[in-house]
Amino acid sequence: MRNPFLDFRSLPYEKKEIPLDRIVRAKQEIMDSILEGYLHLVEEEVKDLVWLVEHSHVVRTYSAAVNRIRELHYDQDDIEEFCAELDSAKKIPYMISGPAGIYLSALINHAPEDRIVLRPKDFDRTFHFMGYRLPESKTLILQGNVGDFVGAGLSGGSLVVEGSVGNWCGAGMMNGEILVTGYAGQKTGEWMRGGEIHVDGSIGSLGRSRFGGKIYQRGKLVIPQELDDQY
Amino acid sequence: MNTEANGSLREKVRDIYRYIQENLYLNRPDMEMRGEPFNAALLMSLLTGLNQGKELIIGEPGLGKTTSAEHICALLYRIPLGTIWGSEVPGHPEQTEEKIIGRPDLGKLNQGEEVVVWSHFTLLPVKIVDEINRLPETKQSMILDGVDRGNWEYLNDAIINREYCLFATANYQDRGTNTIIAPLIDRFDVMVESKHPGPNLAYLIGAEGTNGAALRHEELEAEFQRTLGERTPYAVRMERVEEICDRFGKALAKNTGIPTLSQEERQTIRSQKEELPLELDFNAFLRFVLAELSFCCRYGQKRSHEGCEEGCHFTEYLCNTIRNCVSNRLPISARNFAQTLAWLLGDEQVGLEHLKAVLPFTLAHRIQWKEEIVAQREKEARSDPLEIYMAKQAVRDMHRRYMEQGSQVKNALAVACRIMDGESMEPIQGDHPLYWEIRKDLGEEVFKE
Amino acid sequence: MTKLDDILLEIWPRVKRKHLFPELPDPVGAEGEERVGLDIKGKRISISREFVAEMSQAIEQGDVVEGLLDHAISHYLCCPWDFSTHLKLYAEAKEILRDKEMAQRATDYFMDVVADTHCVSQKETPLPQIYRNFKGGIVDEAIHALYQRIWGIDLGATGHEDISRKLSRLPYLDRTRWRESMRRFAKVIKALFEIEEKQGGSGEPSPMGDHGLEQYSPQEIEQGLKELALDAATPSEFRDIVRDFEDEILEASQSRDQGMGLGPGRSLDADLLYYMKLAENYLLPIRRMPTEKSGSLYPHQHIPWEVGKPYQDIDPWTSFGKIMPGITQTWRRREGEIFGREEGIPDCIVIIDSSGSMTDPRQRLSYAVLGAACACDAYLRNEAEVAVYNFSDARSGGQKVLPYSRYRKQIYRTICHYFGGGTRLLVENIEALQTEKAPDIFLITDMQITNLEVLVEYFNTCKNRVTAVHIGDNKHVETFRHSVAMRKNIEIYGVAKKEDIPRIVLGKVQDYLYKKVGP
Repeated sequence: MRNPFLDFRSLPYEKKEIPLDRIVRAKQEIMDSILEGYLHLVEEEVKDLVWLVEHSHVVRTYSAAVNRIRELHYDQDDIEEFCAELDSAKKIPYMISGPAGIYLSALINHAPEDRIVLRPKDFDRTFHFMGYRLPESKTLILQGNVGDFVGAGLSGGSLVVEGSVGNWCGAGMMNGEILVTGYAGQKTGEWMRGGEIHVDGSIGSLGRSRFGGKIYQRGKLVIPQELDDQY
Repeated sequence: MNTEANGSLREKVRDIYRYIQENLYLNRPDMEMRGEPFNAALLMSLLTGLNQGKELIIGEPGLGKTTSAEHICALLYRIPLGTIWGSEVPGHPEQTEEKIIGRPDLGKLNQGEEVVVWSHFTLLPVKIVDEINRLPETKQSMILDGVDRGNWEYLNDAIINREYCLFATANYQDRGTNTIIAPLIDRFDVMVESKHPGPNLAYLIGAEGTNGAALRHEELEAEFQRTLGERTPYAVRMERVEEICDRFGKALAKNTGIPTLSQEERQTIRSQKEELPLELDFNAFLRFVLAELSFCCRYGQKRSHEGCEEGCHFTEYLCNTIRNCVSNRLPISARNFAQTLAWLLGDEQVGLEHLKAVLPFTLAHRIQWKEEIVAQREKEARSDPLEIYMAKQAVRDMHRRYMEQGSQVKNALAVACRIMDGESMEPIQGDHPLYWEIRKDLGEEVFKE
Repeated sequence: MTKLDDILLEIWPRVKRKHLFPELPDPVGAEGEERVGLDIKGKRISISREFVAEMSQAIEQGDVVEGLLDHAISHYLCCPWDFSTHLKLYAEAKEILRDKEMAQRATDYFMDVVADTHCVSQKETPLPQIYRNFKGGIVDEAIHALYQRIWGIDLGATGHEDISRKLSRLPYLDRTRWRESMRRFAKVIKALFEIEEKQGGSGEPSPMGDHGLEQYSPQEIEQGLKELALDAATPSEFRDIVRDFEDEILEASQSRDQGMGLGPGRSLDADLLYYMKLAENYLLPIRRMPTEKSGSLYPHQHIPWEVGKPYQDIDPWTSFGKIMPGITQTWRRREGEIFGREEGIPDCIVIIDSSGSMTDPRQRLSYAVLGAACACDAYLRNEAEVAVYNFSDARSGGQKVLPYSRYRKQIYRTICHYFGGGTRLLVENIEALQTEKAPDIFLITDMQITNLEVLVEYFNTCKNRVTAVHIGDNKHVETFRHSVAMRKNIEIYGVAKKEDIPRIVLGKVQDYLYKKVGP
């Protein structure tokens, strides 16, 4: 066949690239990897769209998540954007809150930044397990209301929630600090082993099985001071 | 290229245009090229005459469709009006091959010899068919071959016109009209409307009349009549005709100062315009247009009897609004007319603005729009007939798309060239049908759901 | 002519060629504000003399003018491209910011970023120089920082690292993701607006002016509203956006009185406009003049005679008195075609149920109203008249009757009216609308009519062609079907989703209007 493009032979092929092209391309690659990691995690850990909240399950899911993100190079902005993707359901047909929150936590815990700010108030969906196993030297600030198991397994980090939290806040936390400016739900501090939870608003109920740590309400220490009869 | 000769020839053609515009075909300018106003119908007719093209002129009765064509032919080809009138083919259902093309020499026929007496229509380089849509379809087919190649056959004889242009007029659809058959309409290079000039110019026409009498010459017309009726070989006759044309031209120049073009000048213009190079944007945009008018993601190409699927990805492009596939005559017409326009404007290259100016007129009669698209546009305010209006809108839309991504398109074509030359590169991807077509040319199987 | 005019004359052809000849009128120099360099009205670009004079203290005058022209053309070429895109972007911004002015500013900034980035990425332009030398408010500073980051050109911008970093991640040049990008842009820039407000209001206006609707032609506005109606999930979504631009839309469409809901001195009825524009997306072609065969044969054309063909139609004149193949011509006869008896398109009575069981058209998309609107549109475009009987509990006054009219606004207003009460119609009102020519009847209801049997009895006796469209399915629909089963002039259709409306309604109307009229 004759070459129908001969007229353009002398045109130098030049693609004028501006930094925006590189930024968007790099970001897209990272997002694709993060998304892929999440979808694989869901495939492995979630059977028939059901994910049970059991300790062993949670631990296993977190390990799997960490494995998935280990080789990735991302930053806080990528994490924010991933939250937006989870919320919008355009690329993610279904969001299973538990694994999503654990995956997010894995991303947060291994991000290069020490201080991460996310805005759950911008999202329609509720994220659970935010701040799971947040390590020492990390600060996570959540602007807006979040779901259950916030700060579960906290491992020395500092978690600030500028809003309210659901149930099982600080469940099984080892060390570190949780500050909630709104209210907390039921079983706050369940299985807590150390660290501190500060709630400025009301607390639905305290966890009955606690092994250490302190809980403050409106600046006043309520645990280890027993006030079970009030709840 | 001899720019000096180029310049004076160009001036002469512009003088012809100006003379007709001011004396013979009074009408408003309705298009602009680089700040210079033109009347589209007259300009396209001029380009048709220079180009050996074929033009379809539509319009309401009495608005100068035939007259404008006659005047252009008279001045560009140096043929007096009377001779042109005598060669015109009127469209009516009872037209016969004998009236259009030629008849047997009755005297010779009675002696058992077949000698063809060719009609003036076939002999003369200027051909005007009046109200072509009143011809039945079979007669339209008859003209097809002659119109397309200048090749006329009758009995066992044939003549081939060395130089010719065709003007056909058509009224809007009424009781007595047929449709112009698709193969014939596709052969027209351009379609224009001869508009009403407005009440003020119309008054002038009524009060003063137009000075067509200046383009008559009884003596020479008689000589034309004699020469065309001679029973000599076609080539010999045409040489004689050319001599009479020259005499008519000189007579006009001497008596009235009206400019005309000789055969040599017309040939010079054609070769000069052929030499004008085409800019890359012209090249790329024309490919861009052809892609939108022929592409179908599902069926490989557009076909009149195959409809678009709902939910096709390419709904933003013209392929989704038309029913037929554009023919290969479109790029030929577009290139010819754009080049001639560029020559007329004195430009050294043929560019995007020349193409944009002529494209609607080359497209208007070649596109079959979907009914629902016509329904949407029918009632919009406009100053052109619907077909030309929609063609102008289509060109405008495609141009806007091209302006946005012109450099990517050219890059894609450049990369494709390299790939064809053997370089190992990936073709540039894009949403526009042209990118898909480039990949097809490079041998890729492309199918998009 | 002033110097600016000279510069424009010199530069404009070059800039036009650079951008591949956009169809824009020649720009003009105008008296404007010092701080605003550019104004676009009806696609005419106006360059402020004062702005150019001020800027040319730091940059070449020609460069200022060229940069402004590049920016203006990029808006035309790239973003927002058309009114519909502008509205969609605004809708996204409004959803995040909730405030009209903030949303407009955010949209303006977003469009500027897209247009400027497109220009810088595609062409050689002095636009960055303008930004380098222009000092604006806090938002402008952040935008300049963004430009610095995404263009890789030093604009002397400092600070706003965080915001510019977040904003730099948006794919501005990907048109398919503009809406999503607009949302993210608005989220990020909201913080800046809040800071600005705390500091005492918005700063200097952008040198590129603001982007009102005056740059769009009335046709573009009409087209944009049509697309927005198709895009909007509910009438309220459409209404929220359109109301924000009410003044501009009314001003732009002053000359187009047939644009329903629009016109001088009238406020915009956004809900009527929504259904009108939505129905315009589904259009029937105009009926052509019908022709029919006359029944008589007439000589039509000559064809060559062949041995074996009959002799009686030979034309001796064209055959030159010879009977021989190749010479002799014979007539082919054809049945003449004459214009058929034009009965005219019948008028139409639209009967629409607006009882409590039907959807309130102002709250959510009402299939009934949309179907009625499509049918009305089809009849009106074919030069017929439409009467409307809108009923709910007719005995208690819950009904509206509009006699035959071609005035769209009245028709749509009557169709869109929602009573929300009981469901009982008065057949006498339908009878009162009957004419000699037996108009078509379009009934749209969910069939949960208290006196359905009265309606059935009426339909069983009337001679009109009836199309009954029922929304959803229930036992009353079955009853109705069964009761009118024997009648050939009644057709019943069910609508389950929006896409059924044009297919069913227009399909049936098309059958009516394009078949031969008559018994």
